[in-house]
Amino acid sequence: MNQQGLRFEKLKIASFDFTCCEGCQLQLANRESTLADFLRLIDIRNFREISSEQHDDYDIALIEGSISRSDEVERLLAIRRQAKVLVAFGTCACFGGVNSLKNRVSGEAAVSEVYGEIKVETLPVRRISEVVKVDLSIPGCPVAKEEVERIIISLVTGSLVTLPKYPVCVECKAALNTCLFELGEICLGPITRAGCHAVCTTGKTPCLGCRGPAEEINMEAFLHLVKERGLSRSDLQEKLAFYNAFDAFTP
Amino acid sequence: MHDQRFVIPRQELNREDFASSVPDFNRRSEVMNTDMGYKCTVTNIVRLTRQEKLFQIRIIDPVERALFRFRPGQFLMLELPGYGEVPISISSSSTNHEFLELCIRKAGSVTTALFNAGEGARVAIRGPFGSSFPMDEMAGHNVLLIAGGLGIAPLRAPLFWINEHRNRFLDVSLLYGAKDPSQLLFTWQFNEWDMISHIGLHTIVEHGSEEWTGKTGMITDLFNDISIDPATTYAIVCGPPVMFKFVCGWLDGLGIPMNRMFVSLERRMHCGMGKCCRCMVGSTFTCIDGPVFDYWSVMNLKEAI
Amino acid sequence: MIYKIISKAEFKRFIDALVRSNSSFGPRMVDTDSRGEAVYQFQPVSSVDEIAFDYTRTASSAKHFFLPFRQELSRFHFHDDDWDQKVSYEADPVVLFGLRACDISALNILDDVLLNGHFPSAYYLAKRKNTFVIGMDHLPLPDCFCKSMNHHTVPTGFNLFCSDIGDEYYLAINSSKAFNFLREFETRDPQYDENCRLAERRKLISSSFRTEIDVTGLPAILDIEFDSPVWKKWGDKCLSCGTCAMVCPTCYCYSVEESFESDLQSSSRQKRLYSCNLVDFAAVAGGHNFRPKNGDRLKYRYYHQHRGFAENANQQICVGCNRCGKACLAGINPKDVINDLRLEKDTCTTSVSSSPARS
Repeated sequence: MNQQGLRFEKLKIASFDFTCCEGCQLQLANRESTLADFLRLIDIRNFREISSEQHDDYDIALIEGSISRSDEVERLLAIRRQAKVLVAFGTCACFGGVNSLKNRVSGEAAVSEVYGEIKVETLPVRRISEVVKVDLSIPGCPVAKEEVERIIISLVTGSLVTLPKYPVCVECKAALNTCLFELGEICLGPITRAGCHAVCTTGKTPCLGCRGPAEEINMEAFLHLVKERGLSRSDLQEKLAFYNAFDAFTP
Repeated sequence: MHDQRFVIPRQELNREDFASSVPDFNRRSEVMNTDMGYKCTVTNIVRLTRQEKLFQIRIIDPVERALFRFRPGQFLMLELPGYGEVPISISSSSTNHEFLELCIRKAGSVTTALFNAGEGARVAIRGPFGSSFPMDEMAGHNVLLIAGGLGIAPLRAPLFWINEHRNRFLDVSLLYGAKDPSQLLFTWQFNEWDMISHIGLHTIVEHGSEEWTGKTGMITDLFNDISIDPATTYAIVCGPPVMFKFVCGWLDGLGIPMNRMFVSLERRMHCGMGKCCRCMVGSTFTCIDGPVFDYWSVMNLKEAI
Repeated sequence: MIYKIISKAEFKRFIDALVRSNSSFGPRMVDTDSRGEAVYQFQPVSSVDEIAFDYTRTASSAKHFFLPFRQELSRFHFHDDDWDQKVSYEADPVVLFGLRACDISALNILDDVLLNGHFPSAYYLAKRKNTFVIGMDHLPLPDCFCKSMNHHTVPTGFNLFCSDIGDEYYLAINSSKAFNFLREFETRDPQYDENCRLAERRKLISSSFRTEIDVTGLPAILDIEFDSPVWKKWGDKCLSCGTCAMVCPTCYCYSVEESFESDLQSSSRQKRLYSCNLVDFAAVAGGHNFRPKNGDRLKYRYYHQHRGFAENANQQICVGCNRCGKACLAGINPKDVINDLRLEKDTCTTSVSSSPARS
């Protein structure tokens, strides 16, 4: 690939799943209209969802999922040693995600609830950045396909990789949605990073903040808003904790 | 029940719609307005420092090239297709109709890609945009130019103008400060400015090096090196925001009238045409009313410096 | 301007013919909020029955029909080591029904800014020329303050404007297109009686405003109160979510982005409406942010709205629709902010501002 005297190399990419549903990786294979072009940008070295071939000479590692077992830690450290760019891919990798609900109870209680008598080794759920250095985060449950594509194109062409700094409201208003607060709901849109095209709120489902906090959010004003409208504080806390993405702000 | 009688016909745009376009914006007649760029070839690239390169570009179309005019102090929007546009001040002589020179610091996506693209790359420019230094008004006076860091880039065009019309000016001095000697730009021209054009050149760096025999300190430390007659002096200042405050305050204290002090401000323009509002300072567009402002205007721009 | 009288039934037949023959948008009820009030938006309509003639105010303005939230400015096609730039100003004809006087005033203000300034915007003009605007008067809502801004009536900027005078509409016809369409329907010239009813209607509208904002001398007050603590007070409430600018009929500030297509064979330069309240509006390459605080950014929006910029002859661009105040989750609205500023001014004995020459 060649453009303007700039030579573009295919990205040697690998994708790995840890504690997750593999839904984010599936998103990549899903966007059929541009899939062929997209696959031309990357050289898949290791990607279970797409190819049965497995090589260890990748530059970019997409990490889906959070870390909840000691063997996962070992595997992740090995990937970190190989990868030039390690990407926390999806909400579980970036924040812990839904898996973090487990951290509310003790490990034994969680295991016996799910597996009964069977002995399973488990650790409290951690986000990727708590275990290794993360170079790039692409949040979302699941990740937004267009955004991933845009970021991959940016990596190939050497453009700056950016995520929107502003909250979901911007995209929600552009979709002419009725504000869910006006409908009596608590929506995390005003404090959550945009980039999802307000897909949930457009479907009248309140935002649960899967993309994590927008930049320099005004949490105090947000809490005040929920209180002012007489909305349930426990509902708010449930939503803030859902993806474990607002732990730094949780009152 | 689609009824042909009530169908609204499509209306195309025509030239008359734009009768009020800026007259000094030179376009080929068939180009309606300012959204198309002039295609240019990057003809030469000179590395100035670790972070800055001087790009020489040439408008490909001979008619467009012949018509392109700018005034010292103006800027243009430089497009690298695929990456985007950035506002860049023009660093070459306004009487050079063959080439334009742009001094560019590697800072974002576009500039990084430009640094990677080689000679021969095709870029587009829109413009020129913005206000300029009143060179004719300055003629017959002393001129004091003060530049900090990359602030020398917008001052190179007025310097060229002064060089080319040297006998129309009285004493001309340039105070130029940089972080360290390796960051001084256009050093190869220092001799020419000093010896041939008799521009009093005073340089200073914050942190010297072993080879550096000149002064070390802040730009304000150069103030004592020159004597200024406020009654006959024009000043041009460009540099980082923090510099304006000290330098302009000093010039003001010397008694140089506010309407004879000019600064070139920098903001992130997205359109260059007074529409996107990204470069607003107070209630003024840096891209239209600026980037060159006299000091009185700057004082009125509350967010300016 | 030509004036005609049309019965409401005949008018609906006319609108029906128009919306069935063209791509059309009008007010429709989209939700009922938790207080039981209807929420309206300008939505596609294909027959007159879909239009909410009795609507109050749309939650979002009609701005995006002229300034889309995202719009391609130009496209670059790559071939070998070269490229071609394509710029297109095409717009499809659209019927926009039910705009209020303030909405049309907003379009006139945008005309001023985008067409009469230094560099007229062909993208905007293409849309403006191809949009058939039909206005409708209405009785003000409790929070409408367009009268304070002198935008409760509008003399121009529409193809057709209808005033409700009981069983009939009093039509102001401002384009040959509208006039020709109406030839096919039963209208008559207004008589003394109808003119009186129009005057009464206008008087009623004018006397029904319950929200007033004193904007006299506001530009100067804003200049003087640049460092007022009022900005921090309201800024501390601001969520920096950009909602106010998105729903505003005149906020036109934007951002330009460019990206390659995934086949790397072309790239697209796009503008997207951006709000000056968003955190990185005044950030520059290298990371410096000229307006790092919520209050700085909120103040800037009030400056643009109520002081105006040189580019639009220092005119206020707020039309008084209060969409921003209604939509703001933090409860920030022009009335309270401006009154607060005035209060600040009226009650202080010594100026809270530093001199305009701060440096």
